[in-house]
Amino acid sequence: MTVRNAILMIIALLLGAAIVAVPLYANGYYLALGISILYFTVLATAWAMFSGPTRYISLATAAFFGIGAYSAAITAETLSWPLQLLVAAGAGGVVAAITGLSTLRLSGIYFVIFSFGLAELIRQLVIWYEVNVHKSVGRYLFSDITQEVLYWQLLGLAVVVLLAGYALNRSRYGLALRAIGADETAARHAGINATLVKLGVFVASAVFMSVAGAMMAPRWTYIDPAIAFNPMISFQVVIMALLGGATHLLGPLLGVVPLVLLFEVLTAALPNHFSIVLGLVFVAIVMALPQGVIGLIAPLLARPHAKPVAMPAIAESPLLSVERVSKSFGGLRAVEGVSLTVAQGEILGIIGPNGSGKTTLLNMLSGALIPTTGTIRLGDAVISGLPAHKIARLGLARTFQLVRVMPELSIAENVAAAALFRAGASAGSETEIHDLLELVGLGRRSDTPAGELTYIDQKRLELARALALEPRILLLDEWLAGLNPSELETGIALIARLRDRGLTIVMVEHVMDAIRALCNRCLVMSAGKVIASGTPEVVLADRTVITAYLGEADA
Amino acid sequence: MLLFDILLPGLVLGGMYVLIALGLTLQYGVARIMNLSYGEALVAASFAALSLYTGLSLSPLLALLLAVPIAAVLNWLLYRLLLVRLVRRNKDAGAQEVDSILVTFGVLFVIQGLMLVAFGGQYYSYSYLSIPVVILGSTLAVNRLVALAFAAVIGTAVYLALTRTRLGTAVRAVAVDARAASLVGIDVAALAGFAFAFGGGLVAAGGVLVSMFLTFNAAMGVVFTMKALVVVIMGGVGNVMGALIAGLLLGIVETAVARLVDPGLTLAATYTLFLAVLLVRPTGLFGKATS
Repeated sequence: MTVRNAILMIIALLLGAAIVAVPLYANGYYLALGISILYFTVLATAWAMFSGPTRYISLATAAFFGIGAYSAAITAETLSWPLQLLVAAGAGGVVAAITGLSTLRLSGIYFVIFSFGLAELIRQLVIWYEVNVHKSVGRYLFSDITQEVLYWQLLGLAVVVLLAGYALNRSRYGLALRAIGADETAARHAGINATLVKLGVFVASAVFMSVAGAMMAPRWTYIDPAIAFNPMISFQVVIMALLGGATHLLGPLLGVVPLVLLFEVLTAALPNHFSIVLGLVFVAIVMALPQGVIGLIAPLLARPHAKPVAMPAIAESPLLSVERVSKSFGGLRAVEGVSLTVAQGEILGIIGPNGSGKTTLLNMLSGALIPTTGTIRLGDAVISGLPAHKIARLGLARTFQLVRVMPELSIAENVAAAALFRAGASAGSETEIHDLLELVGLGRRSDTPAGELTYIDQKRLELARALALEPRILLLDEWLAGLNPSELETGIALIARLRDRGLTIVMVEHVMDAIRALCNRCLVMSAGKVIASGTPEVVLADRTVITAYLGEADA
Repeated sequence: MLLFDILLPGLVLGGMYVLIALGLTLQYGVARIMNLSYGEALVAASFAALSLYTGLSLSPLLALLLAVPIAAVLNWLLYRLLLVRLVRRNKDAGAQEVDSILVTFGVLFVIQGLMLVAFGGQYYSYSYLSIPVVILGSTLAVNRLVALAFAAVIGTAVYLALTRTRLGTAVRAVAVDARAASLVGIDVAALAGFAFAFGGGLVAAGGVLVSMFLTFNAAMGVVFTMKALVVVIMGGVGNVMGALIAGLLLGIVETAVARLVDPGLTLAATYTLFLAVLLVRPTGLFGKATS
């Protein structure tokens, strides 16, 4: 340990001791301020845990906080204090699971609006229950918990939340969550069970909010639904997390402290103009600090990435077989009765005019679409109908016709995301990721955000990400399209190298030179059907194929 | 008769929701700004109508002529001075949506705060044309019928303007694909500002009409925003006919729940309906599927 580290350590310890000891030296006013800072720290950190990486802006904080507070008020007379917290956590978790299951598949805007109304909805239901069943609205709460004890409880909870956030960021679920936020479709095809990851973190974040609510309940001696489900809490938490920066663990804390102090001053000095100033602060933060305070500081701090070490799995003999697969969109039969097999180590080319169903076929193979009829087998397993992430984990990887990288994630993280949940091994080692990037020709730039890459490099990256799944079979959807002649040469050589390593490939392609150079067999589709198959030389000379491409008169 | 007691007020309420949602769908669908301060603008228009009526004895129907243009200009300024920066800053639509939600949140609090300072938190209403008439056996105040008639006229005019004029066609083109619209010579930035202002004008019209028969207070805007959003999303974003049906449906369901179950549960009913629709059809009743 260097002298500098030792000094930092001592400062941190002293600061920690000072924070823990606040109730011993602070008077009532400053203690109350400390309590406010702590409970907003818990709420904002828990909020950012989910909403930061996924960018699902949740306005349901007040709902979960209120559930905790109200359930504590109801159980106060019958249950011991730890049980009260447990009940609050359980209630918050269950409500989060139910709402999450039904709303997390909604994309951004729908989710915002639903969470916007959730607190109000629950408040109405609680009032209705109290009026009609309990026959009185509001509960009195007598508790022997002093301000000092409350402070220490919240401090403990804040530490737990920060540790949980830290553990989440370090685990593979942290990267998975950021991959989902960057591009959910790509994440699913990289083997990430997006629904489960999102739900899990959403529930965890809600549980923390509910426990915070239960702890805060004794602070009000009388509690009614309007106090417990105060929508202002949701807004304040969002603005705090955003001011600090929601993508960083300690970001929300940086927003909480100044804003709690500001609100405190405002309520005292300008009680009638509170919401005007709140609104102006809100606008100013979003306009001027899109990344939050942490966004100003973060570039100054280097972030080292630690990755668990893992061994690559060894592929056994694969075989893809497709039996009479069809897909209809309403009345349009995009793919009709297509059958094909792909042998181990083979490259199968699929060609055909635009709109002939090639991409639809690939989408069914990779699980983006479910076939209307027919079965698809990978090895012995039937994969038709499985969700995309399961197919990816079984060893089928793909690239997209319109390239899909996760723009905010670094190049290395894009690849690591795909290695997270593959079969057998856990996440990929740094050397493995580096080797993959080297293979596709992106070796030296692993820290660049993927969004800054050129088109061809994004395609390379997408390929590396697909390879990180250690696939048994790789689907390339017009991977060579849009490349200039020299890039094309490099691209063809790269695919050849993959074949030489024993990878089985299915490629949809319009570049006939590539089909001739690479494919053992190729398959021609037209209007959803296979009209020819065989070696490229034979197929490309076939009259029906020429007709399909060029039309009757020219043939 | 109970059926008409629910159906008629339900239609009046639903008509208001349609008008209000029409403005929101213009702002969101064309200008790509999810405006959460929408309901506050509505309540502000209600207060304007109240002040004009009690202060200058100006009829709310004349107040429309004042409130709508003023609101349009204010909305245009809001767009040009503030929101257009978000459009320039964000390349992808998702980030712009999130940013616009957050900024208009701030605007929501500013407007609400100003109204609280001016009018306090209590409820207001005024009596204009509150003469009861009996239709199909159920009693209804004339002001409600007038409001419904105005909503129908304004709504139809907007619909025709969107579908039958060059400007309307250009607006719809921007809603479908802003980049493609710019490639065929449409000034997207100007049109987005225009659509935002126009949507703001519509919400002011809604606010004035609603003030004739509802009691309102400074903190009520959020409820209107939520309902307008529910209507827009249920009907499918940018779909005028969808908004019409969703709005009327919502009005009737709410009236029915208030009448038959408990007036305190109207929002719960709204959300249950909203969620049910979204679970079955995630893009709304008449929305197009996006892949």
